[in-house]
Amino acid sequence: MNHFGDVVRERRERLRRQDRRYSLRQVAQRIGLEPAYLSKIERSEAAPPSEAATVRLAGELGEDPDVLLALAGKVSRDLQDIIRKRPRLFAELIRQLKDAPDHAVLRVVREVRDGDW
Amino acid sequence: MIELKENELHFHFPEIHEAARCSIGFQRTLRIPDDDRTWFLPPGLGEFPLRHLDDYATLLPDGWRRRGGVIMPMHQAEALWINFTASGYPFAVKVATGKICAITGEAWVDHLNRDPQDYVVVPEQPWLDGYCVEKGVIRQFVAMPLGEGYSVEEQLTGAALHGGLQIVAYPMKRERHEALRALREHCADYLNAPAMMVADAQPQAMGLAPGGRMKQEIYDDPYGLDAWDQRHGSRCFVTIANSRQWMAITGECPPTEPPTAKQYTEEGLPWFDYYGGDAEAVAGSATLKGLASVAQMGDEKGEIPLPENETPLAPHVIGLRAKGSHRVREFHE
Repeated sequence: MNHFGDVVRERRERLRRQDRRYSLRQVAQRIGLEPAYLSKIERSEAAPPSEAATVRLAGELGEDPDVLLALAGKVSRDLQDIIRKRPRLFAELIRQLKDAPDHAVLRVVREVRDGDW
Repeated sequence: MIELKENELHFHFPEIHEAARCSIGFQRTLRIPDDDRTWFLPPGLGEFPLRHLDDYATLLPDGWRRRGGVIMPMHQAEALWINFTASGYPFAVKVATGKICAITGEAWVDHLNRDPQDYVVVPEQPWLDGYCVEKGVIRQFVAMPLGEGYSVEEQLTGAALHGGLQIVAYPMKRERHEALRALREHCADYLNAPAMMVADAQPQAMGLAPGGRMKQEIYDDPYGLDAWDQRHGSRCFVTIANSRQWMAITGECPPTEPPTAKQYTEEGLPWFDYYGGDAEAVAGSATLKGLASVAQMGDEKGEIPLPENETPLAPHVIGLRAKGSHRVREFHE
């Protein structure tokens, strides 16, 4: 399983090879963290940052914020709020779909209905 | 399929290609003066809210429910522009208002036509601000109540049946995309290519009408009609509700009214000019050019449909280019 710090470092280093603005110091500054703290996160010596900082980091690195939050062992606040509003319904839905293949999960994604016009 | 995410329509066609994705949003903007001048591009002031129409079906008339799609609020005489986003997989997108094509002025058909071209190519075309009335000139989309005679639909058909906006998007055929991608990977320019109140009244439908003149080119299709996979299109009807009724329908406040062009300009805030490189522009539609603008029709009817239609002085204009720069023209309050 991918480790949060490893994924962040690998992605940032890959970007840095093309653009020096992706140095550890500059990325840390842009997302509002101390460079030393980001360095520890990348080396798995510190726990992943807050949800907000993780989302900013995902934006900076071009990663999906939900994927990075999952690697950090977190679920975004908006998803938590959705589940809390209808806990029985969404708990059942997620359990039902837990082993379904991706294409089957995509089938339950809500589409904009096209009608008669 | 089309999903609604964060006030944008996300079109994707996984059955064609994993990368066959594009999104379409509707930007709030200034209404440019409806006078004889040709204006630069006004800013985006944030997206209009979009909601699944089905979520409010019990509050809406049968005719609205049948269309499906999404619903969006607009103030009377408010303007909008359409924002197209695609990461690199090309799309052909048709846009109509009141089921009249915004590029040609012809009645709506689902399929694409090349002569004259009745669609835009995305991502080459970043925005569409109005009706294509001349080569390089559009008349801005302005919301007016359906039934008062201002909308393009009413001017051309004499009927006020549909209103709203209609969109269909077709992805490029997979094999054409693969060939194009292979070609681009051999081309040094590739990296620089453009990334790519309902309670006691019936809800009042809004239509779109031609407003002031604006400098904007509608780009000619560089790929040809055969490039588009017309077996796999997705359509959406965007119903426009009067913003006064939006709260009664959805329980949400509509966006505030935007500033006037004069107020905005006097604050020193920017307008935009877009240069699309070597791309050819299509000719304008004689049908659309022959329509009365909202101000012109107001004069004929002895009405003042556009409050505060004053001309701002000396707008500050920022140039945007297709290549080598991002194409952001939003200015959030």
